[in-house]
Amino acid sequence: MPELRVEEVLLSRRGVLKVGLWASAFLTCAGLGASLSGCSPGSSASGFALLRSSDLTFLRALIPVMLAGSVGAPAVPGAADATLHQLDHNLAHLPPELLKLTRQLFDVLAMPVTRGPLTGVWGGWESASPEQIQDFLQRWQNSSLNLLRMGHGSLVQLVMMSWYERPESWAGCGYPGPPKI
Amino acid sequence: MPVPDPFREGMARGWKTRDGSQLDSDLTLEADVVIVGSGAGGGTTAEILSAAGYRVLLIEEGPLRTSSDFRLLEDEAYSSLYQEGVGRMSKDGAISILQGRAVGGTTLVNWTSSFRTPAPTLEHWAREHAVAGHSEAQMAPWFEQMELRLGVAPWLIPPNANNEVIRTGCEKLGYSWHVIPRNVRGCWNLGYCGMGCPTNAKQSMLVTTIPATLEQGGELLYLTRARRLLISGDQVTGLECQAMDSRCVAPTGRTIMVKARHYVLSGGGINTPGLLLRSEAPDPHGRLGKRTFLHLVNFSAAQFPAAINPFYGAPQSIYSDHFQWKDGTSGPMGYKLEVPPLHPALAATIFASFGQTSAGHMAQLPNTHMMLALMRDGFHPDSPGGSVELRADGSPVLDYSLTPYVWDGLKRALHSMAEIQFAAGASAVMPLHSDAQYMTSLGQTRDRIDSLSLELYRTRLASAHVMGGCAMGENPQLAVTDSLGRHHQLGNVSVHDGSLFPTSIGANPQLSVYGLTAKLATELAARLKNP
Repeated sequence: MPELRVEEVLLSRRGVLKVGLWASAFLTCAGLGASLSGCSPGSSASGFALLRSSDLTFLRALIPVMLAGSVGAPAVPGAADATLHQLDHNLAHLPPELLKLTRQLFDVLAMPVTRGPLTGVWGGWESASPEQIQDFLQRWQNSSLNLLRMGHGSLVQLVMMSWYERPESWAGCGYPGPPKI
Repeated sequence: MPVPDPFREGMARGWKTRDGSQLDSDLTLEADVVIVGSGAGGGTTAEILSAAGYRVLLIEEGPLRTSSDFRLLEDEAYSSLYQEGVGRMSKDGAISILQGRAVGGTTLVNWTSSFRTPAPTLEHWAREHAVAGHSEAQMAPWFEQMELRLGVAPWLIPPNANNEVIRTGCEKLGYSWHVIPRNVRGCWNLGYCGMGCPTNAKQSMLVTTIPATLEQGGELLYLTRARRLLISGDQVTGLECQAMDSRCVAPTGRTIMVKARHYVLSGGGINTPGLLLRSEAPDPHGRLGKRTFLHLVNFSAAQFPAAINPFYGAPQSIYSDHFQWKDGTSGPMGYKLEVPPLHPALAATIFASFGQTSAGHMAQLPNTHMMLALMRDGFHPDSPGGSVELRADGSPVLDYSLTPYVWDGLKRALHSMAEIQFAAGASAVMPLHSDAQYMTSLGQTRDRIDSLSLELYRTRLASAHVMGGCAMGENPQLAVTDSLGRHHQLGNVSVHDGSLFPTSIGANPQLSVYGLTAKLATELAARLKNP
């Protein structure tokens, strides 16, 4: 018998199964306003075109887990930083509607009210262990909600594409780089 | 010695080009014919109409990038040369869609495979979709004309190891395979066609028909989005455009109003139906945007003992149609087998794994072969394709559902690809699915494929061939345009791009677009002389 998932309970209780999760999360955020820490501040973090400080907190926890094994441990912080800037560049080229969806995804991950029940990470991304982050990704990948599966796919694509666009990643995949013309 | 950049040289000689992002005031332009989109359909049409003496204005949403800009880097290419900053996908996010968006359209970034529309496809269109005048014999001269124009010829240099796998595997199994014709002249065999050709060997619209148009005094306006056609009765009276910023993300606020005798829509699948939907064009039978096809693609990865180096060499040079027509045109779904090039970022997104799993896959990249299967969608009642819709801001998005018929084709393709990879000497094969790993025997792989839950998100799906959505045909109840691309309800609007196809093609579609639009543009040029 399938286990009843937290997200299903949460969503059916709120009766929002028919509306987009991101949209409902957005409304929640707007409704509770600034009293909730982690709510989207709207403005980009210093040194970034689009990423906001709440995005950075989450992504700085996520990216090292996704890059694990592709560079030696001492190089991970530098690789993660390069990936973060490449991701920022790529987001800056998304059309407004796709950027909006991506930001709503990041908001859902940043806001405690949605982060805890939907990811199982209750104590904040700064203190999440790699195992907790892997569990969250696996849970989304296997979720019965297409929206969470889509969110999982987006996170993997955004981060892995950004990392492998960086020359720092090429040694780890045996790519000598483009020929000189 | 640096490679010459003939486009920049032409601009220096005084070609009429305008960068929409740099406009500091609104603009009104007039032309005999305005063409929306500068890819295969728009470029071909522009050359033919300007050679016939018409004043042509080409409008392109994307940026202008020429050979000296192409540095063979994935990060630069994907974000600037592809639709939606390479973020285009089906509405549910389950299918990645690669389409070009720059001067030259998808021809700037495609992998150069050039096939005539297969005869069974043309016959099916005549029989099932009331397409008239497009028989194999009637189309042959148009394909020949464009093959000559664009240097289309079978690739004579030995295939790279990635393509060689198809040949070796098919030979061992007694399956048919063939050499792919490519639209190149003096190709350096580098392997970076998807990032813009740095040597101008690829005969894209950027180096062929668009320069010819500009030499004739035609005009090019880029970083400009066609927002809506102004419609009065059965006539279009103007085209309202928005200047885009240099990243092609947001309108700058400047508008461009274009008046022309005739309006040709060549934005390709998804975009052309999108423009007509935004314009609230008449659609009395609800056909607009419907029956949009993708040649839905799935993948099989393989490890080889010897280096494959799948990032170097002409990306596509060998194909197999062994499974394409064997059950007839409209039996179980047929598919074409080819390979994609594997540069690191593209490979990582196809693998779509992370952490140690991804690192393991990627560490083996030099020994990795990847095969893909292109599903021939649209020929069977259970393959109705997708539907183009508008998002809140008016941008188009494709809603594409997979039926059990399509999943059956995808599953059979995973079997075919694994069989060929092992026959070619693979040490391990992995169907690209979240629940699959590399397996070392064909039997084990077949068992795994049969047990996989083939469903959205777990199965890696992509498309690089968007077709249909403005189907042509003589029956207005089924089609948006007639067989000459003339809009059934609007007198001075034609569609000249891949959105005309009533089904998918069953082959990489660029030459199908060239041949078809050469025919339509030639007939349009004659009609405009006798209004």
